[in-house]
Amino acid sequence: MVDPSDIFELWRARFGLPDGVFSGYRFFRRAQSIWVLRDEKLPRISYETLGLRMMSLKDRPWKPTTCALQVFGKYATRNTVHLDSVQASRFLAGESQHLPCDCEPGYVVVFYSGEVLGCGLYSHGKLISQLPKERRMASCEDGDGDT
Amino acid sequence: MDYAERYREIIPEFDRFQEIQSCPLAATARINELKIDRSRLLERLRVGGISFEQLGWYSHGIRLSSEKPGKLLDYMLGFIHIQEEVSMVPPLILGPLPGERVLDLCASPGGKTTQISQMMKNQGLVVANEPSLSRISALRSNCERLGALNVVITRYDGRQFPEIDVDRVLVDAPCSSEGRARRDPGIWSRCSPKRSQDLAALQTGLLKRAVKLAKPGGVIVYSTCTYAPEENELVVQSVLDSARLEQVALPGLKECPGLTEWQGRILSDELKLCARYYPHQNDTGGFFVARLIKE
Repeated sequence: MVDPSDIFELWRARFGLPDGVFSGYRFFRRAQSIWVLRDEKLPRISYETLGLRMMSLKDRPWKPTTCALQVFGKYATRNTVHLDSVQASRFLAGESQHLPCDCEPGYVVVFYSGEVLGCGLYSHGKLISQLPKERRMASCEDGDGDT
Repeated sequence: MDYAERYREIIPEFDRFQEIQSCPLAATARINELKIDRSRLLERLRVGGISFEQLGWYSHGIRLSSEKPGKLLDYMLGFIHIQEEVSMVPPLILGPLPGERVLDLCASPGGKTTQISQMMKNQGLVVANEPSLSRISALRSNCERLGALNVVITRYDGRQFPEIDVDRVLVDAPCSSEGRARRDPGIWSRCSPKRSQDLAALQTGLLKRAVKLAKPGGVIVYSTCTYAPEENELVVQSVLDSARLEQVALPGLKECPGLTEWQGRILSDELKLCARYYPHQNDTGGFFVARLIKE
Protein backbone atom coordinates (compact mmCIF):
# COMPACT_ATOMS: atom_id res chain seq x y z
CA MET A 1 0.00 0.00 0.00
CA VAL A 2 1.10 3.53 -0.78
CA ASP A 3 0.04 6.72 1.01
CA PRO A 4 -2.63 8.32 -1.24
CA SER A 5 -1.53 11.80 -0.25
CA ASP A 6 1.97 11.14 -1.64
CA ILE A 7 0.48 10.14 -4.99
CA PHE A 8 -1.92 13.04 -5.02
CA GLU A 9 0.89 15.50 -4.30
CA LEU A 10 2.84 14.29 -7.35
CA TRP A 11 -0.18 14.71 -9.62
CA ARG A 12 -1.17 18.04 -8.07
CA ALA A 13 2.34 19.43 -8.50
CA ARG A 14 2.63 18.42 -12.15
CA PHE A 15 -0.93 18.68 -13.45
CA GLY A 16 -2.72 20.91 -10.95
CA LEU A 17 -5.33 18.30 -10.07
CA PRO A 18 -7.96 19.64 -7.65
CA ASP A 19 -8.51 18.05 -4.24
CA GLY A 20 -10.71 14.98 -4.07
CA VAL A 21 -9.95 13.51 -7.51
CA PHE A 22 -8.34 10.45 -5.92
CA SER A 23 -10.75 10.06 -3.02
CA GLY A 24 -12.30 6.61 -2.85
CA TYR A 25 -9.24 4.93 -4.39
CA ARG A 26 -6.26 3.13 -2.97
CA PHE A 27 -2.80 2.76 -4.44
CA PHE A 28 -0.36 -0.11 -4.64
CA ARG A 29 3.27 -0.21 -5.57
CA ARG A 30 4.65 -3.21 -7.39
CA ALA A 31 8.22 -3.01 -8.65
CA GLN A 32 8.53 0.42 -10.27
CA SER A 33 4.81 0.95 -10.93
CA ILE A 34 1.89 2.43 -9.00
CA TRP A 35 -1.57 0.93 -9.50
CA VAL A 36 -4.90 2.52 -8.64
CA LEU A 37 -7.95 0.57 -7.46
CA ARG A 38 -11.35 1.39 -6.00
CA ASP A 39 -10.96 1.39 -2.21
CA GLU A 40 -12.63 -1.94 -1.38
CA LYS A 41 -11.82 -4.75 0.99
CA LEU A 42 -9.69 -7.30 -0.87
CA PRO A 43 -9.94 -11.04 -0.28
CA ARG A 44 -6.63 -12.54 0.79
CA ILE A 45 -5.71 -14.37 -2.40
CA SER A 46 -2.94 -13.77 -4.89
CA TYR A 47 -3.38 -11.22 -7.67
CA GLU A 48 -1.87 -10.64 -11.09
CA THR A 49 -2.99 -7.01 -11.22
CA LEU A 50 -4.86 -4.59 -8.95
CA GLY A 51 -6.87 -2.05 -10.91
CA LEU A 52 -5.15 0.13 -13.46
CA ARG A 53 -1.44 0.83 -13.82
CA MET A 54 -1.29 4.59 -13.37
CA MET A 55 2.36 5.62 -13.23
CA SER A 56 5.91 4.44 -13.58
CA LEU A 57 8.61 5.43 -11.09
CA LYS A 58 11.35 3.74 -13.09
CA ASP A 59 12.90 6.98 -14.33
CA ARG A 60 12.88 10.58 -13.20
CA PRO A 61 10.57 12.31 -13.56
CA TRP A 62 7.79 9.79 -12.85
CA LYS A 63 5.64 9.04 -15.89
CA PRO A 64 1.85 8.82 -15.98
CA THR A 65 0.28 6.09 -18.13
CA THR A 66 -2.02 6.95 -21.00
CA CYS A 67 -4.82 4.89 -19.49
CA ALA A 68 -4.56 6.80 -16.19
CA LEU A 69 -4.54 10.15 -17.99
CA GLN A 70 -7.64 9.13 -19.94
CA VAL A 71 -9.38 8.71 -16.56
CA PHE A 72 -7.87 11.44 -14.37
CA GLY A 73 -6.20 13.76 -16.92
CA LYS A 74 -9.43 15.60 -17.70
CA TYR A 75 -9.06 17.33 -14.31
CA ALA A 76 -5.60 18.67 -15.18
CA THR A 77 -5.19 22.44 -15.07
CA ARG A 78 -1.46 22.61 -15.86
CA ASN A 79 0.85 21.09 -18.43
CA THR A 80 -1.92 20.32 -20.85
CA VAL A 81 -1.63 20.50 -24.64
CA HIS A 82 -4.60 20.94 -26.98
CA LEU A 83 -4.10 19.69 -30.53
CA ASP A 84 -5.90 20.36 -33.79
CA SER A 85 -6.93 17.46 -35.99
CA VAL A 86 -3.71 17.28 -38.02
CA GLN A 87 -1.57 17.41 -34.88
CA ALA A 88 -3.80 14.84 -33.20
CA SER A 89 -3.35 12.42 -36.10
CA ARG A 90 0.42 12.68 -35.76
CA PHE A 91 0.22 12.18 -32.04
CA LEU A 92 -2.08 9.15 -32.43
CA ALA A 93 0.33 7.63 -34.93
CA GLY A 94 3.05 7.81 -32.27
CA GLU A 95 5.03 10.57 -33.99
CA SER A 96 6.94 13.58 -32.65
CA GLN A 97 6.16 17.13 -33.79
CA HIS A 98 7.32 20.68 -33.22
CA LEU A 99 4.76 22.51 -31.16
CA PRO A 100 5.12 25.87 -29.50
CA CYS A 101 3.37 25.83 -26.15
CA ASP A 102 3.83 27.18 -22.65
CA CYS A 103 4.18 23.82 -20.90
CA GLU A 104 7.08 23.03 -18.60
CA PRO A 105 9.37 20.38 -20.07
CA GLY A 106 8.25 16.89 -19.07
CA TYR A 107 5.10 14.79 -19.34
CA VAL A 108 1.90 16.50 -20.47
CA VAL A 109 -1.78 15.66 -20.85
CA VAL A 110 -2.66 15.71 -24.54
CA PHE A 111 -6.20 16.75 -25.49
CA TYR A 112 -8.03 16.73 -28.78
CA SER A 113 -11.55 18.03 -29.22
CA GLY A 114 -12.11 18.08 -25.47
CA GLU A 115 -11.02 14.47 -24.88
CA VAL A 116 -7.77 13.22 -23.37
CA LEU A 117 -5.80 11.27 -25.98
CA GLY A 118 -3.02 10.31 -23.59
CA CYS A 119 0.49 11.05 -22.46
CA GLY A 120 3.01 13.19 -24.32
CA LEU A 121 6.56 14.26 -23.52
CA TYR A 122 7.29 17.94 -24.08
CA SER A 123 10.95 18.62 -24.66
CA HIS A 124 12.84 21.39 -26.53
CA GLY A 125 9.73 22.60 -28.30
CA LYS A 126 8.76 19.11 -29.44
CA LEU A 127 5.78 17.01 -28.43
CA ILE A 128 6.78 13.35 -28.42
CA SER A 129 3.90 10.89 -28.36
CA GLN A 130 4.08 8.42 -25.50
CA LEU A 131 1.13 6.31 -26.63
CA PRO A 132 1.84 2.63 -26.14
CA LYS A 133 2.20 0.83 -29.47
CA GLU A 134 -1.05 -1.09 -29.09
CA ARG A 135 -2.99 2.14 -28.63
CA ARG A 136 -1.60 3.96 -31.66
CA MET A 137 -4.11 4.56 -34.39
CA ALA A 138 -1.85 3.82 -37.34
CA SER A 139 -1.13 0.36 -36.04
CA CYS A 140 -4.48 -0.12 -34.30
CA GLU A 141 -5.80 -3.58 -35.10
CA ASP A 142 -9.32 -4.75 -34.53
CA GLY A 143 -10.13 -4.82 -30.86
CA ASP A 144 -9.91 -7.91 -28.74
CA GLY A 145 -13.58 -8.38 -29.37
CA ASP A 146 -15.70 -10.89 -27.52
CA THR A 147 -17.56 -13.74 -29.09
CA MET B 1 -21.21 -27.69 -41.40
CA ASP B 2 -22.60 -31.25 -41.61
CA TYR B 3 -21.93 -31.46 -37.91
CA ALA B 4 -24.77 -28.98 -37.36
CA GLU B 5 -27.17 -31.66 -38.65
CA ARG B 6 -27.21 -33.10 -35.13
CA TYR B 7 -29.24 -30.02 -34.14
CA ARG B 8 -31.92 -30.38 -36.84
CA GLU B 9 -34.46 -31.68 -34.33
CA ILE B 10 -33.82 -29.07 -31.64
CA ILE B 11 -33.33 -25.83 -33.57
CA PRO B 12 -36.55 -24.33 -34.97
CA GLU B 13 -36.55 -23.34 -38.66
CA PHE B 14 -33.39 -25.34 -39.08
CA ASP B 15 -32.98 -24.52 -42.78
CA ARG B 16 -32.88 -20.81 -41.98
CA PHE B 17 -30.36 -21.56 -39.24
CA GLN B 18 -28.19 -23.30 -41.84
CA GLU B 19 -28.55 -20.50 -44.36
CA ILE B 20 -27.51 -17.75 -41.98
CA GLN B 21 -24.26 -19.52 -41.09
CA SER B 22 -22.73 -18.18 -44.29
CA CYS B 23 -23.89 -14.58 -43.66
CA PRO B 24 -21.22 -12.53 -41.89
CA LEU B 25 -22.18 -10.79 -38.66
CA ALA B 26 -22.54 -7.02 -38.43
CA ALA B 27 -20.03 -5.33 -36.15
CA THR B 28 -21.56 -4.45 -32.79
CA ALA B 29 -20.17 -2.48 -29.90
CA ARG B 30 -21.07 -1.65 -26.32
CA ILE B 31 -21.04 1.94 -25.13
CA ASN B 32 -18.69 2.17 -22.16
CA GLU B 33 -20.29 4.39 -19.57
CA LEU B 34 -17.24 4.05 -17.32
CA LYS B 35 -15.78 6.70 -19.60
CA ILE B 36 -18.56 8.48 -21.45
CA ASP B 37 -22.29 9.10 -21.14
CA ARG B 38 -24.35 7.22 -23.63
CA SER B 39 -25.95 10.38 -25.05
CA ARG B 40 -22.58 12.09 -25.49
CA LEU B 41 -21.15 9.06 -27.30
CA LEU B 42 -24.14 8.89 -29.65
CA GLU B 43 -23.70 12.59 -30.37
CA ARG B 44 -19.98 12.08 -31.07
CA LEU B 45 -20.80 9.34 -33.59
CA ARG B 46 -23.41 11.52 -35.30
CA VAL B 47 -21.07 14.52 -35.51
CA GLY B 48 -18.24 12.28 -36.70
CA GLY B 49 -20.42 10.91 -39.50
CA ILE B 50 -20.06 7.34 -38.21
CA SER B 51 -23.18 5.46 -39.16
CA PHE B 52 -24.71 3.26 -36.49
CA GLU B 53 -27.96 1.80 -35.33
CA GLN B 54 -28.99 1.30 -31.71
CA LEU B 55 -29.85 -2.23 -30.64
CA GLY B 56 -33.54 -2.51 -29.91
CA TRP B 57 -33.13 -4.61 -26.79
CA TYR B 58 -30.14 -2.99 -25.05
CA SER B 59 -29.67 0.74 -24.63
CA HIS B 60 -25.87 0.42 -24.52
CA GLY B 61 -25.51 -1.71 -27.64
CA ILE B 62 -24.94 -0.29 -31.13
CA ARG B 63 -24.51 -1.83 -34.57
CA LEU B 64 -21.82 -0.17 -36.67
CA SER B 65 -21.45 -0.21 -40.42
CA SER B 66 -17.73 0.45 -40.08
CA GLU B 67 -15.67 -2.45 -41.42
CA LYS B 68 -12.96 -1.88 -38.82
CA PRO B 69 -14.59 -0.43 -35.71
CA GLY B 70 -11.36 -1.18 -33.81
CA LYS B 71 -9.79 1.65 -35.80
CA LEU B 72 -12.23 4.28 -34.56
CA LEU B 73 -10.90 6.96 -32.23
CA ASP B 74 -13.81 6.16 -29.92
CA TYR B 75 -12.38 2.66 -29.55
CA MET B 76 -8.90 3.92 -28.73
CA LEU B 77 -10.38 6.33 -26.19
CA GLY B 78 -12.22 3.46 -24.53
CA PHE B 79 -15.64 4.93 -25.27
CA ILE B 80 -16.78 1.74 -27.01
CA HIS B 81 -15.89 -1.93 -26.80
CA ILE B 82 -16.30 -4.23 -29.79
CA GLN B 83 -18.49 -7.01 -28.49
CA GLU B 84 -20.77 -9.46 -30.24
CA GLU B 85 -24.42 -8.65 -29.66
CA VAL B 86 -25.52 -11.75 -27.71
CA SER B 87 -22.25 -11.67 -25.78
CA MET B 88 -23.75 -8.65 -24.00
CA VAL B 89 -26.51 -10.86 -22.56
CA PRO B 90 -24.81 -12.81 -19.70
CA PRO B 91 -23.81 -9.75 -17.60
CA LEU B 92 -27.37 -8.41 -17.90
CA ILE B 93 -28.71 -11.73 -16.64
CA LEU B 94 -26.12 -11.72 -13.84
CA GLY B 95 -27.40 -8.27 -12.78
CA PRO B 96 -24.46 -7.06 -10.65
CA LEU B 97 -25.08 -4.00 -8.43
CA PRO B 98 -22.73 -1.20 -7.35
CA GLY B 99 -20.82 -2.17 -4.21
CA GLU B 100 -21.13 -5.94 -4.64
CA ARG B 101 -18.31 -8.43 -4.99
CA VAL B 102 -18.49 -10.33 -8.27
CA LEU B 103 -16.32 -13.14 -9.59
CA ASP B 104 -15.84 -13.57 -13.35
CA LEU B 105 -14.32 -17.02 -13.44
CA CYS B 106 -13.28 -17.17 -17.14
CA ALA B 107 -12.72 -13.49 -17.84
CA SER B 108 -10.47 -12.92 -20.87
CA PRO B 109 -10.67 -10.92 -23.12
CA GLY B 110 -12.78 -8.91 -20.70
CA GLY B 111 -15.83 -7.72 -22.63
CA LYS B 112 -18.18 -9.15 -20.03
CA THR B 113 -15.83 -8.24 -17.17
CA THR B 114 -15.89 -4.58 -18.14
CA GLN B 115 -19.63 -4.69 -18.78
CA ILE B 116 -20.01 -5.96 -15.19
CA SER B 117 -17.71 -3.17 -13.97
CA GLN B 118 -19.87 -0.67 -15.86
CA MET B 119 -23.10 -2.06 -14.39
CA MET B 120 -21.48 -1.66 -10.95
CA LYS B 121 -20.59 1.95 -11.80
CA ASN B 122 -16.94 1.24 -11.04
CA GLN B 123 -17.84 0.50 -7.39
CA GLY B 124 -17.46 -2.71 -5.42
CA LEU B 125 -15.03 -5.32 -6.66
CA VAL B 126 -14.85 -7.48 -9.78
CA VAL B 127 -12.45 -10.40 -9.44
CA ALA B 128 -11.54 -11.31 -13.02
CA ASN B 129 -9.94 -14.73 -13.21
CA GLU B 130 -8.04 -16.03 -16.22
CA PRO B 131 -5.88 -19.13 -15.94
CA SER B 132 -3.91 -18.54 -19.12
CA LEU B 133 -1.01 -16.10 -18.80
CA SER B 134 -1.07 -15.38 -22.52
CA ARG B 135 -4.72 -14.31 -22.35
CA ILE B 136 -4.21 -12.05 -19.35
CA SER B 137 -2.59 -9.29 -21.43
CA ALA B 138 -5.75 -8.84 -23.55
CA LEU B 139 -7.88 -8.83 -20.41
CA ARG B 140 -5.66 -6.27 -18.75
CA SER B 141 -5.42 -4.11 -21.84
CA ASN B 142 -9.21 -3.99 -22.23
CA CYS B 143 -9.76 -3.20 -18.54
CA GLU B 144 -7.25 -0.36 -18.75
CA ARG B 145 -8.51 1.04 -22.06
CA LEU B 146 -12.07 1.01 -20.73
CA GLY B 147 -11.12 2.65 -17.43
CA ALA B 148 -12.28 -0.16 -15.12
CA LEU B 149 -11.02 0.82 -11.67
CA ASN B 150 -12.77 -1.86 -9.63
CA VAL B 151 -11.25 -4.90 -11.37
CA VAL B 152 -8.52 -7.14 -9.98
CA ILE B 153 -7.08 -9.96 -12.09
CA THR B 154 -6.25 -13.40 -10.71
CA ARG B 155 -4.74 -16.44 -12.40
CA TYR B 156 -6.15 -19.60 -10.91
CA ASP B 157 -7.51 -22.78 -12.39
CA GLY B 158 -11.14 -21.80 -11.97
CA ARG B 159 -12.01 -25.31 -10.75
CA GLN B 160 -9.81 -24.68 -7.75
CA PHE B 161 -10.47 -21.00 -7.20
CA PRO B 162 -9.75 -20.25 -3.52
CA GLU B 163 -12.55 -19.81 -1.03
CA ILE B 164 -13.81 -16.21 -1.02
CA ASP B 165 -17.22 -14.65 -0.31
CA VAL B 166 -18.93 -13.47 -3.49
CA ASP B 167 -22.39 -12.12 -4.27
CA ARG B 168 -22.43 -13.23 -7.91
CA VAL B 169 -20.38 -15.43 -10.19
CA LEU B 170 -20.21 -15.47 -13.98
CA VAL B 171 -19.02 -18.67 -15.62
CA ASP B 172 -18.63 -17.79 -19.29
CA ALA B 173 -17.03 -21.11 -19.96
CA PRO B 174 -14.52 -22.18 -22.61
CA CYS B 175 -16.61 -24.05 -25.19
CA SER B 176 -16.66 -25.44 -28.72
CA SER B 177 -17.80 -21.95 -29.90
CA GLU B 178 -20.27 -23.18 -32.53
CA GLY B 179 -22.18 -19.91 -32.04
CA ARG B 180 -19.19 -18.04 -33.51
CA ALA B 181 -19.38 -19.82 -36.85
CA ARG B 182 -20.64 -16.72 -38.67
CA ARG B 183 -17.29 -15.10 -37.80
CA ASP B 184 -15.19 -18.19 -38.30
CA PRO B 185 -16.82 -20.81 -40.56
CA GLY B 186 -13.93 -23.21 -39.85
CA ILE B 187 -15.33 -23.79 -36.37
CA TRP B 188 -17.72 -26.54 -37.47
CA SER B 189 -14.89 -28.69 -38.76
CA ARG B 190 -13.25 -28.62 -35.32
CA CYS B 191 -16.38 -29.79 -33.47
CA SER B 192 -17.03 -33.37 -32.41
CA PRO B 193 -18.97 -35.14 -29.66
CA LYS B 194 -15.63 -36.12 -28.11
CA ARG B 195 -14.50 -32.48 -27.98
CA SER B 196 -17.79 -31.44 -26.39
CA GLN B 197 -17.48 -34.21 -23.80
CA ASP B 198 -13.94 -33.15 -22.91
CA LEU B 199 -15.05 -29.54 -22.58
CA ALA B 200 -18.05 -30.62 -20.52
CA ALA B 201 -15.75 -32.11 -17.89
CA LEU B 202 -13.99 -28.74 -17.53
CA GLN B 203 -17.25 -26.78 -17.66
CA THR B 204 -18.84 -28.95 -14.97
CA GLY B 205 -15.80 -28.46 -12.75
CA LEU B 206 -15.98 -24.69 -13.23
CA LEU B 207 -19.71 -24.45 -12.59
CA LYS B 208 -19.55 -26.66 -9.48
CA ARG B 209 -16.81 -24.46 -8.05
CA ALA B 210 -18.80 -21.32 -8.89
CA VAL B 211 -21.86 -22.64 -7.05
CA LYS B 212 -19.68 -23.54 -4.07
CA LEU B 213 -18.20 -20.02 -3.94
CA ALA B 214 -21.47 -18.07 -4.22
CA LYS B 215 -23.12 -17.09 -0.97
CA PRO B 216 -26.55 -18.66 -0.21
CA GLY B 217 -29.08 -16.84 -2.34
CA GLY B 218 -26.25 -15.63 -4.61
CA VAL B 219 -26.60 -15.59 -8.39
CA ILE B 220 -24.53 -17.73 -10.73
CA VAL B 221 -24.77 -17.28 -14.49
CA TYR B 222 -23.46 -20.02 -16.75
CA SER B 223 -23.01 -19.16 -20.42
CA THR B 224 -21.39 -20.58 -23.55
CA CYS B 225 -21.41 -19.69 -27.23
CA THR B 226 -22.22 -23.21 -28.36
CA TYR B 227 -25.35 -25.19 -29.19
CA ALA B 228 -24.04 -28.52 -27.86
CA PRO B 229 -26.39 -29.76 -25.11
CA GLU B 230 -23.43 -31.71 -23.68
CA GLU B 231 -21.81 -28.35 -22.87
CA ASN B 232 -25.02 -26.60 -21.84
CA GLU B 233 -28.06 -28.27 -20.27
CA LEU B 234 -26.11 -31.38 -19.23
CA VAL B 235 -23.56 -29.22 -17.41
CA VAL B 236 -26.23 -27.14 -15.67
CA GLN B 237 -28.12 -30.27 -14.67
CA SER B 238 -25.07 -31.40 -12.67
CA VAL B 239 -25.53 -28.58 -10.12
CA LEU B 240 -29.31 -28.64 -9.72
CA ASP B 241 -28.94 -30.38 -6.36
CA SER B 242 -27.38 -27.23 -4.90
CA ALA B 243 -28.90 -24.41 -6.97
CA ARG B 244 -32.22 -23.67 -8.64
CA LEU B 245 -32.80 -22.14 -12.05
CA GLU B 246 -34.53 -18.86 -12.84
CA GLN B 247 -36.02 -17.77 -16.14
CA VAL B 248 -33.65 -16.12 -18.61
CA ALA B 249 -35.36 -13.64 -20.92
CA LEU B 250 -34.72 -10.11 -22.15
CA PRO B 251 -37.47 -8.03 -23.73
CA GLY B 252 -36.79 -7.49 -27.42
CA LEU B 253 -34.46 -10.47 -27.84
CA LYS B 254 -35.96 -13.78 -28.92
CA GLU B 255 -34.83 -16.88 -27.09
CA CYS B 256 -35.74 -20.57 -27.16
CA PRO B 257 -36.16 -22.56 -23.94
CA GLY B 258 -33.44 -24.88 -22.70
CA LEU B 259 -33.76 -28.54 -23.70
CA THR B 260 -35.40 -31.08 -21.42
CA GLU B 261 -34.47 -34.03 -23.61
CA TRP B 262 -31.39 -34.87 -25.67
CA GLN B 263 -30.67 -37.99 -27.71
CA GLY B 264 -33.33 -39.93 -25.83
CA ARG B 265 -32.13 -38.84 -22.42
CA ILE B 266 -34.75 -37.08 -20.29
CA LEU B 267 -33.37 -34.07 -18.44
CA SER B 268 -34.74 -31.95 -15.61
CA ASP B 269 -37.87 -30.07 -16.58
CA GLU B 270 -36.42 -27.01 -14.84
CA LEU B 271 -33.88 -26.66 -17.67
CA LYS B 272 -36.48 -25.06 -19.89
CA LEU B 273 -35.84 -21.86 -17.87
CA CYS B 274 -32.43 -21.55 -19.60
CA ALA B 275 -32.22 -19.54 -22.83
CA ARG B 276 -30.87 -20.60 -26.22
CA TYR B 277 -30.13 -17.74 -28.58
CA TYR B 278 -30.03 -18.74 -32.23
CA PRO B 279 -28.45 -16.65 -35.01
CA HIS B 280 -31.44 -16.70 -37.36
CA GLN B 281 -33.85 -15.46 -34.69
CA ASN B 282 -32.09 -12.19 -33.82
CA ASP B 283 -29.45 -11.94 -36.60
CA THR B 284 -26.67 -12.48 -34.04
CA GLY B 285 -24.22 -15.18 -33.03
CA GLY B 286 -25.43 -18.13 -30.93
CA PHE B 287 -25.42 -18.33 -27.13
CA PHE B 288 -26.67 -20.35 -24.18
CA VAL B 289 -27.40 -18.69 -20.82
CA ALA B 290 -28.55 -20.14 -17.48
CA ARG B 291 -29.26 -18.18 -14.29
CA LEU B 292 -28.92 -20.14 -11.04
CA ILE B 293 -29.66 -19.20 -7.44
CA LYS B 294 -27.64 -20.98 -4.81
CA GLU B 295 -29.86 -22.74 -2.27
